[in-house]
Parts: sequence; structure tokens; C-alpha cells
Amino acid sequence: MYRVRLPVFEGPLDLLLYFIRRDELDIYDIPVARIADEFLAYVRLMEELDLDGVGDFLYLAAVLLHIKAQMLLPRPPAETAEEAPAEDPRQELVARLLNYLRYKEAAGRLDACAEARRRLYTRGAAAGAGNEEAIAAPPPLAPVSMLELLGALRKVLERRVHPPDHTVRREIYSVEAQMRYVQTQLQQQKRRSFAALVAGQSRGFVIATFLAVLELARQGQVWLHLQESGDDFLVELTEALSVEETYAAA
Amino acid sequence: MPQHKEKGEVAIPLMQGIEALLFVADVPLSVEEMATLWERAYGTRPSSEEVKAAIEALNRVYEETGRVFRIQRWGGGYRLATVAPVSPLLQHYKQPEAKLSQTLLETLAIIAYRQPITKPEIDHIRGVNSDYALRRLQELELITVTGRSDTVGRPLLYGTTQRFLEYFGLNSLNDLPELPELKQLLENPEIRQEHLRLLYSFEPENQESTA
Repeated sequence: MYRVRLPVFEGPLDLLLYFIRRDELDIYDIPVARIADEFLAYVRLMEELDLDGVGDFLYLAAVLLHIKAQMLLPRPPAETAEEAPAEDPRQELVARLLNYLRYKEAAGRLDACAEARRRLYTRGAAAGAGNEEAIAAPPPLAPVSMLELLGALRKVLERRVHPPDHTVRREIYSVEAQMRYVQTQLQQQKRRSFAALVAGQSRGFVIATFLAVLELARQGQVWLHLQESGDDFLVELTEALSVEETYAAA
Repeated sequence: MPQHKEKGEVAIPLMQGIEALLFVADVPLSVEEMATLWERAYGTRPSSEEVKAAIEALNRVYEETGRVFRIQRWGGGYRLATVAPVSPLLQHYKQPEAKLSQTLLETLAIIAYRQPITKPEIDHIRGVNSDYALRRLQELELITVTGRSDTVGRPLLYGTTQRFLEYFGLNSLNDLPELPELKQLLENPEIRQEHLRLLYSFEPENQESTA
């Protein structure tokens, strides 16, 4: 089975922060019950995609469910005045999120330093062509975040009205075959929406095609552009490579 | 060494010697390294004050005569570099070094501010396994193993390298930008919104160098 490895994949804390940003939630008052359900929906989708690193997400999903359960339990009234008020079960998670944010911000500041440094050219190997490979980051997945793509995939899967299958037939789609499918489609039209690429197809087809698109993006063959609504994204061929050339290079 | 002088080698002005070394070098050179090289060639060892004064004099000359060079202090050493305003031209000749991915930057930031730090501590802050990031950062020589922790299992401790300082244009770890305080980040709701927005959108201008 072809596995898609995504080293630039964002982690479970990023997914939580993504919800917080998207819904403009107060980080100190996260509606855990609601968030936990949506978090789990993402995790299930990731499991289905067989993405690396789902384990880290499962751990945080368990933490969220635990908090949700604690918050649903009625709190025993404080019996004595000295008894400390019950701790908010979300406290530890919020502290972790905030701490993580600090380092994300610090990473941004460091990046600004590197940006300024990159404008100052030096002689020799350290800035030369010979070293470019050494310092090169893995190619960016796309100018959109992985979490946003997963969100769009969910929407595309939800939108598909699929008649119930009465005949049980195993559908087998390989990522390689779907990569060729996407390339062929893009040869005809340089820019296609993901929903259009998988219109009317089965869930297995949609998921294999999604993985194929990710792999093509990772290889730098396509660009992905999220649509403003977040319901779909565009797949665009980066350069006019023929299918044969691509496979010769791979 | 005296035999050099017997061969008739005449010392050039120190300023010229420093300029020549920094022109040729492809890593930052420390004052000590430059003094030692000078001593090997001409038999006398300039003091570190003399070397530093020569560097300052060179930078003054570059500035006053409108040259594009400046001697920068990075990672505890000195390096000759061009000034920022000429970078748009140079970019067309030579691609600048590629940017680090968000994953690598975040992991590197945690190590830079918390060093020495173990992998379990890094994993906890990020909420993900950092095997890949640590391996990649070591390959890039931006971090290195600095020892072992005394805690259970004696996990490896990671810290940043000289190359890290040079990559970010810092002279020492004291020059790291301030680690933002939580209050600073979240007290102001406007900043918070703005902040979260910035953190989670891949700014399109970042793609320029790769496009």
C-alpha cells in the first residue's frame, strides 16, 4: 500500500488552534464538547487516509473526550468555605496551547531574522549553489494548510449524494493510478477544482484521489489553492510536464 | 615564523590582510583565527584589539566610499557580506538559501529558547513526535546533541550550533529575539485575532522565493 508521508503536517495542537481561529473562540473558554466531536471527525478522516502521525491526534482526542466527560458531570457543591473551587478541567490544555503559541510566535520572529540574513550575500559554499540542497526544506505542501485541505475534503465527501450500495463490491484504487488520472485531467485543463475531479465518484475514489493530489503537490507538480469558502480547492498544474516525462523523472 | 621573513616576505598592512582573509573565507572567522593565520605568515601576532580595529576601519571605508560590502559579526566570527539593498539584483544571479519549513522552524525555536532540551520535552510542547524534525535539523547542522539528561532513561539533550547563529544572522544566543510572553500575546483581543490569523495563513509572499 502506498503511504503518503507528510513531514510538513501540522499537529493536533494546530488543529485545535485552527478551530479556535476559524470560529473566533475565546481560548480561555473553549466549547470542548463541540470541539471534541469535530476533532474526532478529523481524526477519523485522517485514519481513513492512513496519514502518518495520526497517533498524536488520537492522544489529544482522548484528552478532549476526557475533559468533555468531566464537564458534563454535575459538580458537587462546595461543602466548606475553605475548599478550593474545582479546577476547570480545560486549564491544563489551555496552558499547553498558550505555551505552544509562544513558540510558534518565536518561530515567526526567528524566520524574520533568517529573512533579513538571506538578503546579505556571502561568498563561498555556505550561500552558494552547492549548499542549497543541504539547507533546502522539504518542498512546501501547498500555499494552503493541510488542515484546511482536510476540511475541504470533508465538505466534498459530505456533499456527495451517494446511493446506498446494495451490491457489496470492493473498490480498489491506488494512489499511483489516481496520480495518473489527475495528471491526465490536468493535461486537458490546467486548473481543476477537486470537487470536479471526483464528481459522482465513490468514497474510495475520492480519498485515493485526495492522496494522489497531496503527493503531486509534495512533488511540486501541482499547486493547491483553497477556495474562499473552504469547501473545495483548486488543483493547478505547475508546469507543462507530460505524463511520460513525469514518470521518467519519478 | 622567522624563516618566512628570511624568505623576504614583507608584512602587508593588517587591514589588507583581514580584508583578504574575509574575502576568501566561506565561514565566519574569529579574531583568534585571523590573528593565528597572520602570525603564521608574518611571525608576529596582532592583538585582538588590533584585529577588531582593522575590521572597524574596513567597515568605515566601505561605508564612506559607497561600497556594497560590510563585515558582519555572526556566530562569534566575522564574515564579509553584501548589503541588503543589492539583494534584489543578486537574487537573479544566485538563489538565496531555501527557507525552513514551519515544522523545522517551530522545533528549532523550541530548542533555541529551551536548550539544552530533550526530545520528550520538545514533543510535549509541540504535541507531535519530533523525530523527523530533529533528524533534519541535525542534517542541516542547525542543532547538535550536547549531552544527556540526568532524568530517567538519560535522554539526549539538544542545542543549537554556530551554523544556527550564522543562518539567522545572530552573533550569540543573547541576540535571539525575545521569547514572547503569554500576556503579550493574548491580553489584547485585537492582537490575538490578528496573531492567530497570521499564524495560520501561509503568507503568499513567502512563496516568492520558491515560485
